[in-house]
Amino acid sequence: METGKKYLEMANSPLMWIAAGIAVFVVLMQSVIFFRKSLKAAPEVGLTKKQVKMAIQSSAISSIGPSIVILVTMISLLVTMGAPVSWMRLSFIGSVNYEAMAAGFGAQAMGTDLQHLTPIAFSCGLWTMILGSLGWLIFTLLFADKMNKVNHLLSKGNERMVPIISAGAMLGAFANLAAGNFFTETNSLTIGSAPSLACVFGCGIMMVLTKVAKTKNIQWLKEWSFAIAMFSGMFVGYLAR
Amino acid sequence: MNNDYYSKSYMPGIIKWGKITMLLGITLCFLPALVISFVYGYMPPAAAILTGLLSQVSVSGAFYIVEPISYFPILGIPGTYLTFLSGNTSNMRVPCSSVAQEAADVEFGTEQGSIISTIGIAVSVMVGLVILTVGAVGGNAIVGMMPAGMKEALNYLLPALFGAVFGQFAISRPKLAAVAAVIAIGMTWLLRNGFLDFMPGKNPPSYLVILIAVFGSIFAGRLIYKKELQVPEEEKTEAK
Repeated sequence: METGKKYLEMANSPLMWIAAGIAVFVVLMQSVIFFRKSLKAAPEVGLTKKQVKMAIQSSAISSIGPSIVILVTMISLLVTMGAPVSWMRLSFIGSVNYEAMAAGFGAQAMGTDLQHLTPIAFSCGLWTMILGSLGWLIFTLLFADKMNKVNHLLSKGNERMVPIISAGAMLGAFANLAAGNFFTETNSLTIGSAPSLACVFGCGIMMVLTKVAKTKNIQWLKEWSFAIAMFSGMFVGYLAR
Repeated sequence: MNNDYYSKSYMPGIIKWGKITMLLGITLCFLPALVISFVYGYMPPAAAILTGLLSQVSVSGAFYIVEPISYFPILGIPGTYLTFLSGNTSNMRVPCSSVAQEAADVEFGTEQGSIISTIGIAVSVMVGLVILTVGAVGGNAIVGMMPAGMKEALNYLLPALFGAVFGQFAISRPKLAAVAAVIAIGMTWLLRNGFLDFMPGKNPPSYLVILIAVFGSIFAGRLIYKKELQVPEEEKTEAK
C-alpha cells in the first residue's frame, strides 16, 4: 500500500489536473464550435426554432441517465488511476469498459495488475490507454469527411436505400450491444434474468412511447420517451434481480 | 432558406475545425503520460508499452473502423467528429443523436438530420462534462451520498438503454428488427460457446459479432424492403 499511496499522490497532483484539463478543454471547444455553427446553419436548411429547441431539450434529458452511469464507473477507475486521468479519459475519447481494460493491459505488461500498481506500472497503464484509443481518432481524422462515399457504396447510389442502411446499421449495432444480456453465466440463453428483462422492457416501452408520441404528435413525450423507457426498464431489472 | 449554405459554408467549416480539433486531441491527450514520464521520471520501457498496446489493439482494433462506419448513417459527418473525440459512443452519443432527430422529426441522413444530430451530440457532451467534472472533483463523496439501492439499480440502466435505442428503430421496421435480433443473439451464442475461436484476433473475437450483426442487418434490409426500393412514392408510407 505504501507504493500505492506514493503513485496516487503523483496521479492526483495539480500538474496532472492541468495536463488533463488542457485535453478536456479540446473536447469542450469542439462541441461549442460545432454547436454554434449548427445553430447558425439550422434556419438555412429550413429547420424551425422549435425543432432546434426540441433537439436540445431531448438530448439534455436523455444525457442525464448515461452520465450518472459513467460517473459511478469513473469513481471505480478513480481509485486506481487517480481523479485527473479518470476524468479526462471518460470525458474524452474513452468509455467505461475500455479504460479499465486498457489500464489493466498496461499494468500487466509491467508484470502487475490494477490493484497493485507501482508508479511505473501506472505510467505504463496510462500510455496503453492513450495509445490504444488513437485508432478511433486517427480513423475519424482521416475518413470522417469521406464517409459519405461508404454510404454511397452500400446504397449503390439508390437514395431510397439510405434510410434502410441507417435502420439496419442501428438495429444491428444495438442488437449486438444488447445481446449479452440474454445469456447466463454458463452461456445459455435466458429471457428471465434481470438484465434481459431491463432490456426487453426498455425496448417495449420505447416502442409504445415512440408510436404514441408520433401518431398523436405529443411534443413533451417526444422529448421524454427515451428517458422514460430507459429508467422504467432499469427499474424492472432492479425489481427482478 | 439557402440551398447552398450547408454544402458551401457549413460543411467546409465543420471539416476544417473537425480536423483541427482531432489533431489537437491526438496531440494533447498525451499530456498526462508525458507529465508522469518526464516531469516525475517514470518512463516505462518501450517494450512494455508496446506489449500493453498490442493487447489492447487485438481487442479494439476492428472497432476503430467498424464503429465509425456503423454509426455514420445516424451521426453524419459533424456528429462523427464529435462522437469519436468525446467517446462514450454507444452508451451516450449515438442514443442522443437519434433521440434528438426523432424529437425534431427530421430524416436520418439528410442535411437537416445531420445538423440536428450535431446539436444533440454537442449538448450531450456538455451535459456529460458538467456531471463528470462535478463527480471527479467531488469524488467518493458524491457516490457515497447515493442510496445503495440506486447504485444497484444503475447496473440495469445500460441494458435498458440498449433496448430503448433498439426499440426506437424497431417500431418503424419490425421485420428488420427481428432479423437483427436473431443474427446478434445467434452470433453471440456462437461466440460465447467457443465456436468462433478459430478466427484471428484475441479470443473470443467479439469484433466478428458486431461486423456480422451490422452488415448482415443492412443486407437483410435490402432484401426485406426490396419493394420499397422500387415502388413509387405513394406506396412508401407503410415502412416509415
